[in-house]
Amino acid sequence: MPTTNQRDILITKRDGKKEVFSIEKIEHAITKAFLSVGSFVAPDTITNLLSRICIKKDMQVEEIQNQIEEALMAERYFKVAKAYMLYRQKHFEDRATRDKLTFLMNYCKANNAATGSKYDANANVENKNIATLIGELPKQNFISLNRRLLTDRLKKMYGKEVSEQYINRLNQHFLYKNDETSLANYCASITMYPWLISGTASIGGNSTVPTNLKSFCGGFINMVFMVSSMLSGACATPEFLMYMNYFIGKEYGNDYYTHTKDIVDLSKKKRTIDKMITDCFEQIVYSINQPTGARNFQAVFWNISYYDKYYFESLFENFMFPDGNKPDWSSLNWLQKRFMRWFNQERTRAVLTFPVETMAMLTENGEPKDKEYGDFTAQMYAEGHSFFTYLSDSPDSLSSCCRLRNEIQDNEFSYTLGAGGVSTGSKSVLTINLNRCIQYAKRTDQSYMTFLEEIVDLAHKAQLAYDENLKELQKSGMLPLFDTGYINMSRQYLTIGVNGLVEAAEALDIKINDNPAYLTFVQNVLGLIESYNKKYRTKETMFNCEMIPAENVGVKHAKWDLEEGYKVLRNCYNSYFYIVEDESLNIIDKFRLHGAKYIKHLTGGSALHMNLTEHLSKAQYKQLIKVAATEGCNYFTFNIPNTICNDCGTIDKRYLHECPVCKSTNVDYLTRVIGYMKRISNFSIPRQEEAQRRYYDKMR
Amino acid sequence: MIKCASYDVVFREIPNEVTLALNLSLCPNRCLGCHSPNLREDIGEIVDETLLTNLINQYGKAITCLCFMGGDNDPLLLSQLAHFIKQNFAHLKVGWYSGRSKRPERFEDADFDYIKLGPYKKELGPLDKSTTNQRLYEKQVDKSWKDITSQFWVLPSFL
Repeated sequence: MPTTNQRDILITKRDGKKEVFSIEKIEHAITKAFLSVGSFVAPDTITNLLSRICIKKDMQVEEIQNQIEEALMAERYFKVAKAYMLYRQKHFEDRATRDKLTFLMNYCKANNAATGSKYDANANVENKNIATLIGELPKQNFISLNRRLLTDRLKKMYGKEVSEQYINRLNQHFLYKNDETSLANYCASITMYPWLISGTASIGGNSTVPTNLKSFCGGFINMVFMVSSMLSGACATPEFLMYMNYFIGKEYGNDYYTHTKDIVDLSKKKRTIDKMITDCFEQIVYSINQPTGARNFQAVFWNISYYDKYYFESLFENFMFPDGNKPDWSSLNWLQKRFMRWFNQERTRAVLTFPVETMAMLTENGEPKDKEYGDFTAQMYAEGHSFFTYLSDSPDSLSSCCRLRNEIQDNEFSYTLGAGGVSTGSKSVLTINLNRCIQYAKRTDQSYMTFLEEIVDLAHKAQLAYDENLKELQKSGMLPLFDTGYINMSRQYLTIGVNGLVEAAEALDIKINDNPAYLTFVQNVLGLIESYNKKYRTKETMFNCEMIPAENVGVKHAKWDLEEGYKVLRNCYNSYFYIVEDESLNIIDKFRLHGAKYIKHLTGGSALHMNLTEHLSKAQYKQLIKVAATEGCNYFTFNIPNTICNDCGTIDKRYLHECPVCKSTNVDYLTRVIGYMKRISNFSIPRQEEAQRRYYDKMR
Repeated sequence: MIKCASYDVVFREIPNEVTLALNLSLCPNRCLGCHSPNLREDIGEIVDETLLTNLINQYGKAITCLCFMGGDNDPLLLSQLAHFIKQNFAHLKVGWYSGRSKRPERFEDADFDYIKLGPYKKELGPLDKSTTNQRLYEKQVDKSWKDITSQFWVLPSFL
């Protein structure tokens, strides 16, 4: 080993700092290892051991310690080698605990839960506390466990090389595995029929079947909590209002909506039918918005849908309740509108994040086919309500989650599973960092399409491996939601997510507006993914592609890419087809950039969040819904930040700089940066910056 | 001659319409506290039938109204262009935001649906202040003009 110039050699410590290499430290370590097994080391032995060690510039401490281990074994001091290894392991464990402690201290000091969270910054948590901290700590273990499960499976299915390739691409941030901190499958839109015919017993609960409005409300809350605890993402109940309507009908007669002012309560309060119904809304909505112990103090992610007449007919035309009754449109029509108006009003009283609502409407000749619902939707936007609209020219797809669009496989009604069309979801999301892929290909002089193809192929293999693991879990009886039919395995997708699309195009000097070069780029990239989705599709396994909302991935990708010296123009990658801060694009341009030709290959959907500073009139919203229908922008919401006063608690649906009640300027905003409404100050710090920078179209 | 410095799709200027607003330069008015004094300069592209056709075709039926913001240097030309729009794009309403206090003499308003009059006066405020001197008129079915300025002062329906 070099001794003459050893003083000049710098080695790398664990924290990345450089230190001058010291041979005395090695001698000391060896002496201690011998002492720990009760023997002394002779100077000759040390010389022999040292002669086996080779120190190079910038060598890591770990590597030097590995060499010491090997030298001890080569010189046949096995007992000493074992003691040395155990010593190293003990220190490794100490360091891990120390790191966790540091994280714990930092989390306690962070401004809010999202900034403090290391692994899942979208955490839908209002405040940080001991419960949220408990949820944070095991996240790293879940990541390791999930990776191991997946790489073992990949090795079995495709060999060691593919498995290693997957881990490399993950560590190099070409790929990002969403929700790796949970063991459960991702999100699902469920059919509630199994609950209706057997209560929650079949999924491990103790509530029997709902028989009246009261047991429906209580049981529904329990059921949603139970289902959500077995999912890592959202739980959509697209039949919620239809079922509720059925139970209201049982209670007050099917024509209840024609006499809602009738007093039906013998108590002193003398409640009307309308009051009884809105009390049910209140019970369900406030309960579900509560932080949940089983979900690290996050509320469950609950989504519901509204339908126009045509969607309703095509989804539920064959539906029959267990008693032989059919869902009734006239009363459901009333109930949908009543719920929406109530929820809009209630949101001025409390910050209510859930349910995320989607209005599904069929379009014909560039406008809603059901004029009444087209009108009502525009009216609700004009009344300041914030919800998503899903448009389709045929009822062959549905968006029942805050973002995921799903093709409806079949609309058949089954006496055990209910309506077929509503049961869908995504088992797992694996995201491709397009900006990294394209810039890396450029850097290494490869065709970006060829390189991307390699990544896309790998992503599909990893998703299939995930799918196999999920099937194993199901075989072991771990997935009662699937076994009992709440979720249908064959109607669930494996989702390939994309992030950094705009940034990738910018890296190729493509202008981000509606122009042929950008369109070709988008269609090529997303078309490639879709072709692989088709290639890997089997009878039981389907893929889709989604532009993920990237609540925290967008921030992570930007940070990682910047660290590796890639061109990064913003510290949170866009979740849209346009640059969120670009003032040169007007509202119609943005609808166009989320129109049919751009989203064509995004079979899993993407949501356009149309950010405005002020509310529009009903006539204007009506016109913009027409624009969306004409352009083929199928999923959108209007996002006007609501003002919440930090001093007196007033919530105002306008974007104001001063509280209209107490005149305080200590105000915060509620906005839908991601799928759901949240206070801006509860977003992680980079997300808050994005919300600040985001260009809200001024009405001038 | 009129020239267009920039354009945008706007919602506030004309109530209930989705408006393609052309910001015209060569403004002869010298309002104190003008929000875009650069529009006094000779900048932008000449507005003629070709430019209008291209712009309108770009947005098709997504817009419901086209509004000239300014153009006080050549009102007669504006009337002609408004006529051209009505002849060729019947679905569009046409508006004019003028900085004048009164309509120009012999001004042909047959092809306009909205006309805003009045210079910007800082002390009186813009259209959404009830103290404003500015007025927005809307043409009625019987071709008469109705002052609809008060629509700017109405609070949203949810308040």
